[in-house]
Amino acid sequence: MTNRRTILGLVGMGAATVAGGGLLSGCSREPGPTGTATNADAASAVVPDFKPVQLVQPDIKGTPPVADGYVRYPAKTVAAITEKPGTSGTPIKATTPWWGPPPPATGQNAYVDAVNAALGVPVEFSVQDGNTYSEKVNAMVGARDVPELLVIPGWDIARIARFSEGAHVLFEDLTPYLAKEKGANYPMLAALPTAAWKDSVWGGKLMGVPFPTDSPFPYALFHRKDLAEAAGVADPTNLDELYAYGTKLTDPGKGVWAFGDISAEVQQALGVPGSQQGWRKNPDGTLVHKYETPEYRQAIEFMIRIHRDGLMHPDLAGSKGGDANALLRAGKVVCWQGGLGVWRGLQRDETRVNPTFNLQPIKVFGAAPGQQPVRWQGTPGIIWTFIKKGLGQARTEELLRVLNWTAAPFGTKEYELREYGVEGTHFTRAADGTPVTNDLYTKEYANQFGFLGGRPAVIVGGADLPNYAQDFLAWANDAIRYAEPDPWAGIKVETPTKLASITQPTVDKMTDIERGRRPISDLDAVVTEWRNTGGDEAREFYATVLADNGR
Amino acid sequence: MSAPPAVEAPVRPRTDPPPPRNARRLRDRLRRDWPLLVMVAPAFLLVLVFHYVPTLGNVVAFQDYNPFAGANPFEAFLYSEWIGFGNFEALFEDPSFWDSLRNTLAILVFQLIFYFPLPIMLALLLHSVLSPRLRAFIQSVVYLPHFFSWVLVVSFFQLMLGGAGLLAQVVRDAGYTPPEIMTNPDTFIVLVTSQAVWKDAGWGMIIFLAALAAIDPTLYEAAAADGAGRWRRLWHITLPGLRSVIILLLILRLGDALNVGFEQFILQRDAVGRQAAEVLDTYVYYRGVVVQQYGIGAAAGLFKAVVGLVLILAANKIAHRFGEQGIYQKS
Repeated sequence: MTNRRTILGLVGMGAATVAGGGLLSGCSREPGPTGTATNADAASAVVPDFKPVQLVQPDIKGTPPVADGYVRYPAKTVAAITEKPGTSGTPIKATTPWWGPPPPATGQNAYVDAVNAALGVPVEFSVQDGNTYSEKVNAMVGARDVPELLVIPGWDIARIARFSEGAHVLFEDLTPYLAKEKGANYPMLAALPTAAWKDSVWGGKLMGVPFPTDSPFPYALFHRKDLAEAAGVADPTNLDELYAYGTKLTDPGKGVWAFGDISAEVQQALGVPGSQQGWRKNPDGTLVHKYETPEYRQAIEFMIRIHRDGLMHPDLAGSKGGDANALLRAGKVVCWQGGLGVWRGLQRDETRVNPTFNLQPIKVFGAAPGQQPVRWQGTPGIIWTFIKKGLGQARTEELLRVLNWTAAPFGTKEYELREYGVEGTHFTRAADGTPVTNDLYTKEYANQFGFLGGRPAVIVGGADLPNYAQDFLAWANDAIRYAEPDPWAGIKVETPTKLASITQPTVDKMTDIERGRRPISDLDAVVTEWRNTGGDEAREFYATVLADNGR
Repeated sequence: MSAPPAVEAPVRPRTDPPPPRNARRLRDRLRRDWPLLVMVAPAFLLVLVFHYVPTLGNVVAFQDYNPFAGANPFEAFLYSEWIGFGNFEALFEDPSFWDSLRNTLAILVFQLIFYFPLPIMLALLLHSVLSPRLRAFIQSVVYLPHFFSWVLVVSFFQLMLGGAGLLAQVVRDAGYTPPEIMTNPDTFIVLVTSQAVWKDAGWGMIIFLAALAAIDPTLYEAAAADGAGRWRRLWHITLPGLRSVIILLLILRLGDALNVGFEQFILQRDAVGRQAAEVLDTYVYYRGVVVQQYGIGAAAGLFKAVVGLVLILAANKIAHRFGEQGIYQKS
């Protein structure tokens, strides 16, 4: 592509490749484990018997697996746990992720101290940046140096090679404590959905406490509806309209660009497969990866237009340095794909300084009028809390009682303390009784306790988010109609290292094509390279997993 | 068989034999130097624990390292399977490794030509400034960026030269299309070198300023008395005075050749693409750390170290040929 590369290429790197490869082959083998899979259907024997704890009837029903919604706050909350879970007085070390500014440490954090007082045992948190969490966890797990409670999101687990092997070395097997009827000892944990528990089984043993997803969607196409309405632009209902939406809202002179990253949303509008990071089972039983589909090519072509015509914010055009949320808050970006988890906090915090701020997901649409989109689905559990191995029965039971406390559902006093902090310190009550949080809450709350022990998922609005539950359920109950069936659902698949190692280089090449650094005609070559360097092997692996499970 | 000695050895008194000479000398030296040894001990321990012991971890370059094998991390090394040169084979078969090596070498050569001389020039210029206050002010200003993190430096460049930055807005206001400075892979090498110059050229000149200060001022006075102008004095006094420092730093830079940086490249990698911005350190991160193929990461690290060693030996040899001291000499 450039002269310097060509010149240096001639210096002899190519020759060295041939020489090096030839000399070393034949006396060694390639490193890395091959993938494994655990059939979670067979895991029923080790998960707790499900006993729901529902204290308040929902105002809006979610279509499963979308959680139910609550518009009104219960007039009276109840105490679900009568005895303090902590008995030893020995501080508990816990590491959790957080996608926001770091909160003050335990001892200087009124929220954490209040919950600790209720627990009867102090939990000392190490809150780490969620964006770089996998690096921290990789190092901790690789060095076999883990805290008593370690929270790991599923997407970070996917990056840990041999995790299913490491889990048994590092973490306590919870089967003897929670399997079947023993779950009744921890009733709040037993009220977590069974699908999420089955997702917590590695190698036939119950290894972690799940944080169930409140909706199965990894993304939504969010936009600043207030800005779009002010510009008189209607919500797009197909890709042509999305492009027109982009051209109308982009105004570089004012420093405003329509889009941040929207590529996954464009792919879903076109029906690109997304199961197990891009696989689809054809009606004839064969497997195809998204890179091999015409829909994916169309998605790339659409994104090329977006980049070429300057509709994406330059700071976000593939840069790690750009902060999409900050640009969205500042009105410099109008629309981008975001995880649904970001919605509540962003809307609540921003409304305090800008009452007109209105973040909304755009109703799901297909690529063209009448064309069906797909919605990719995540797993039933999205984050897990693991207990360090070898702490002894008494300590493990104490930790499980703490996790039981932190799993208390909506309508309990424990839930209120966990989610809103202390009345008068972190929140005040609106006329209808709903907690309205303040700046101290925003500073101190990093969902420290929410990540521990999961919680039965609910969608809750409130006085500071008056339409949140309605808007969420309206969008999600519509979107769930397009959920893509996942042939591997319920099977815990550990990606082969070879596939993991070619993923990033291939994504980089696709990004090069999207950004116009490589021509679209290179797409076929990139796909062929992907197939030859591990893609075809992965196809075989995923097909075998299906066959082994009789699917 | 040798003949018996012609002269009998003198009879020694029957006492304990004296300690061997070497041991006595060692004991004397220990008694004499113990304060120095105590002073050095912590540094020695630090180097031992944090440098030499971790170096042993390089064995994973020849293993399919499994951190969960055995009962503890040490046993993990013992029980991981030996796979010979499998990691190196995988490394050398990977086209992106060669891309990253090419990029690293290109950046190294480019920076040796366009960056390395700049601190020297800066030092010479600053040395010629007579007012001490002005000199101190300029020094402080050019040192300052060294203390900024790469995140800050890249953000600063983004704000100034990015597509939504100051320059682009001015150009746009004037009715023209702004140039792509931060996202152009073909000029990325110039961009990263400019960033490195902005950040570290001022810091790099400190050592040259020190060397300049060590040059005997009477040489200048004598030369001036002999009628030498500014350029003559620069050529015959200043530059020879700096020569040994320049060569020393050049050799050290070569020894560190394949470490062109990590943060600067990982931050801008997506903006210009892997083909332009992947260097060995980012390659190790993506191939070794992210997917936990520690063996391949270690193999790439060993490769880097061997290349660095060869370069430093060669550069030192060349320095000796030219009559310079280099960084070490054969005793």
